[in-house]
Amino acid sequence: MKHPRVVWQVLCLAALLSTANANQLDAATLGQPPTTSWPTFNGDYTGDRFSSLKQIDTSNVSSLQLQWSYRITEVGAQRGAPVPVIKSTPLLVNGTLYFTIPNHVYAADARTGATLWSYSWADEGGHLVGNRGLGMYQSWLYFLGPDDWVICVDSNTGKERWRKQIADARLQYFTTTAPLVVRNHVLVGVGGDAMDIRGFLVSLDPETGDVQWKWWSTPGAGEPGIESWPSVDAAMHGGGGTWLPGTYDPELNLIYWGTGNTNPVFAGQGRKGANLYTTSIVALNLDTGKLVWHFQVSPHDTHDWDNTEMPVLVDTNIDGRPRKLLAQAARNGWFVVLDRTNGKVLVSTPYVKVNWAKGVDKRGQPIPDPAVQPTVSGSMTIISATNWMSPSYSPATGLFYVNAVEGFGIYYLLDTDPKPSGYGGTVNVLGTNTRFLKAIDVNTGKVRWQHEYSNLNGAPATLGPGLLSTAGNLVFTGDDQGNLIAFGADQGEILWHFRASAAQSNGPITYLLDGKQWVVLAAGDTLYAYTLAPAARGIP
Amino acid sequence: MPPKGVTAAIRAVLVCVLLASGSADVLAQPPHGVQVPPSPDAQTPSTAQVLPPGPGAQTLSPSTAQALPPGAGTQTPSPSTAQALPPGLGAQTPSTAAPGPPRSAQAVREFLGLGPAPDGEAAKRGAPVYAANCSFCHGPQARGAEGPSLIYSELVLKDQHGTLIADFLRAGRPEKGMPAFATLTDEQRKDVAEFLHQQVEDVANRGTFQIKNIVLGNPKKGARYVAAHCLGCHSLTGDLRGLAEKWRPADLQHNWIMPPRTGDRRAITATVHAPQATWHGRVEQIDDFRVVLLEGSGQFVVVVRDAGVTVELHDPLAPHVAMIGNLADSDMINVTAYLETLQ
Repeated sequence: MKHPRVVWQVLCLAALLSTANANQLDAATLGQPPTTSWPTFNGDYTGDRFSSLKQIDTSNVSSLQLQWSYRITEVGAQRGAPVPVIKSTPLLVNGTLYFTIPNHVYAADARTGATLWSYSWADEGGHLVGNRGLGMYQSWLYFLGPDDWVICVDSNTGKERWRKQIADARLQYFTTTAPLVVRNHVLVGVGGDAMDIRGFLVSLDPETGDVQWKWWSTPGAGEPGIESWPSVDAAMHGGGGTWLPGTYDPELNLIYWGTGNTNPVFAGQGRKGANLYTTSIVALNLDTGKLVWHFQVSPHDTHDWDNTEMPVLVDTNIDGRPRKLLAQAARNGWFVVLDRTNGKVLVSTPYVKVNWAKGVDKRGQPIPDPAVQPTVSGSMTIISATNWMSPSYSPATGLFYVNAVEGFGIYYLLDTDPKPSGYGGTVNVLGTNTRFLKAIDVNTGKVRWQHEYSNLNGAPATLGPGLLSTAGNLVFTGDDQGNLIAFGADQGEILWHFRASAAQSNGPITYLLDGKQWVVLAAGDTLYAYTLAPAARGIP
Repeated sequence: MPPKGVTAAIRAVLVCVLLASGSADVLAQPPHGVQVPPSPDAQTPSTAQVLPPGPGAQTLSPSTAQALPPGAGTQTPSPSTAQALPPGLGAQTPSTAAPGPPRSAQAVREFLGLGPAPDGEAAKRGAPVYAANCSFCHGPQARGAEGPSLIYSELVLKDQHGTLIADFLRAGRPEKGMPAFATLTDEQRKDVAEFLHQQVEDVANRGTFQIKNIVLGNPKKGARYVAAHCLGCHSLTGDLRGLAEKWRPADLQHNWIMPPRTGDRRAITATVHAPQATWHGRVEQIDDFRVVLLEGSGQFVVVVRDAGVTVELHDPLAPHVAMIGNLADSDMINVTAYLETLQ
């Protein structure tokens, strides 16, 4: 019976080979500084998007060479979105890149850009504004349809494993975020403010998708914080989306999340009070979802200033003592540095010119000027100073980098009902916005240097770009006119640029593959992958 | 390859000749009107809504971009770009970055995934039925009174064309104090459903929003402000007259602070100095790496902003730009009220 034994051996070999080929995310790499992989939205759990790689540095960045580009050509116009735009930060695991646009997931060979597989979702509603990417656990990827479905797919094949709906798109919840995987938790947030949702963050079991816990962004009857609302009903419809990933400190076992704007959005007359825990930074216990502390960066928001910007973990020494800090450049133009063990403030100061604040309260939270609120006849204040685009913090320079927009708009109140609903207002932007890359000293909140991007027209803020800083003393980003750019991290001088087919639209990533440092950025429907020219890597 | 005799530092390329009139709409921004819907969602910043969805908002207009000859990328951008271009990429023209926001109510509805549009006629028929039967408990606009708000109601939001609501109204929910409306006809119950969908539409679909009458300021105080600040450049009997007929109030308020950049008179111009040449013209595009000028002769010039190249911008609207962020709301609304009176 020779023949069967041969078959058995062949099968055994095949099984071994398939195990070797199967993509499996080593859990030990999660949370480690990203070098040979980029396994989460931010690369690691700090949110600093800093890479210790320095093969590419200020001396050789000008010789970056495009190795391949990947253009999404088969999708075309999606509902309300004429051109697909890659807003996702790719994951890089074992030589495969995983990235998304709304309703589509792609796996590509990181060495060549060749498609390995793709996955499509047919939505039944939900907002197609963007998709920020994926979470990964073992060999499973987690992707969100816009209509509140969490879909688990096999990272080797793109085959669906299970799907779970976490909210109802008919109630105007929608989902665009990149799920964040921490230990055995898949953390998923929601967006939606057209219809006065009650925001929440949910933790799912990575194997089954079952709900482990759910944290509501606004308090229920009798819960702490309800005193910041005029009624339980107002709190139940008070907004507070959770539509970007957060960060995690394994020693404290705390996750840090930014919460979105309050609802009704521009009409605050029906929700007098601070409106906790919307427009805040919250610290939650990873395993229970219980609130440990909060800091409200935009109390009683009436300007659509979602506070979902990344709460970046910063470890530093102050007066010779190691400190666990958290820094955020918020959409309302305010920069805060907090002690992440307890939420106590160290720095609280604007990073753009603002006219809406009357100083800070005793906790260091900005005090909104009641005279600067949307009115029927119009009220002028700043437009959003930044948005979902990823910031970066470099421990090498001690600088926090953010792409910021300075500009003003006239905010109108449209819904004067004592019980307004939905948006309830609008803003008419005055169209002379200027975009800056700002490098903020985390010790003082002072802008150490800034670069004004030349632009004839008002700088649009609908797209990224996100930021990446490296130990090569570089910051990678882009302008809003199609240029991918590398800056010197300490001084802010431009060292490299590349004219892409659209404006840079996601968070850049970098990693080491086959001994080469790669930089990957998206611009519109195309992903661009670079390494140094061989000579610049010291190879003759 | 750059022609000999032109230094790498300059590399100005006469790209092509276009009639100035042909490119006049390149930078024309539509008036910042109330018809433009607010931001597509909280995730897109508020600036989104005033960006004209048309050409030219961010970079080269399609006409200008198309006029660049294939391979122009090897001449104008920096050397690093030129080397790195794989076959085919060089022919790609810079395109506008962001798709503009959808403008019509239907487009916003689709973008937000709001479901089917309400039947406006049925909603009108349903309004008096609702007023007579429902508003006492649920409020005139269904936002709640004694009874709960109906625009948050899951039953309402999940209903399509009255199928759920009509059945619910026929039976009511007596145990919770919601009576049955069995005496209404099926048609009336469906009309009430469409009325409720219309209330949701008015709240949730930003594409339907209209700015109200904003002219609430004090025209006398506005006149004093104008006399003190504006008459160096403007005339009460000349260019400040008749603005109210030209623009709706919210557009007027926007445009007197920041006028649309229409016409040569309001265009930003630049003088560009390079070691061996100087150009002057209307700025068509500028970024950190190049400036595109339209010269008086009607020719476009692309100048790479290498070391030694300086760009002096001249903005005829600089006094208006300076008002932004500094003008008091009271002055803003008083001046708007005053300009409304200048027939």
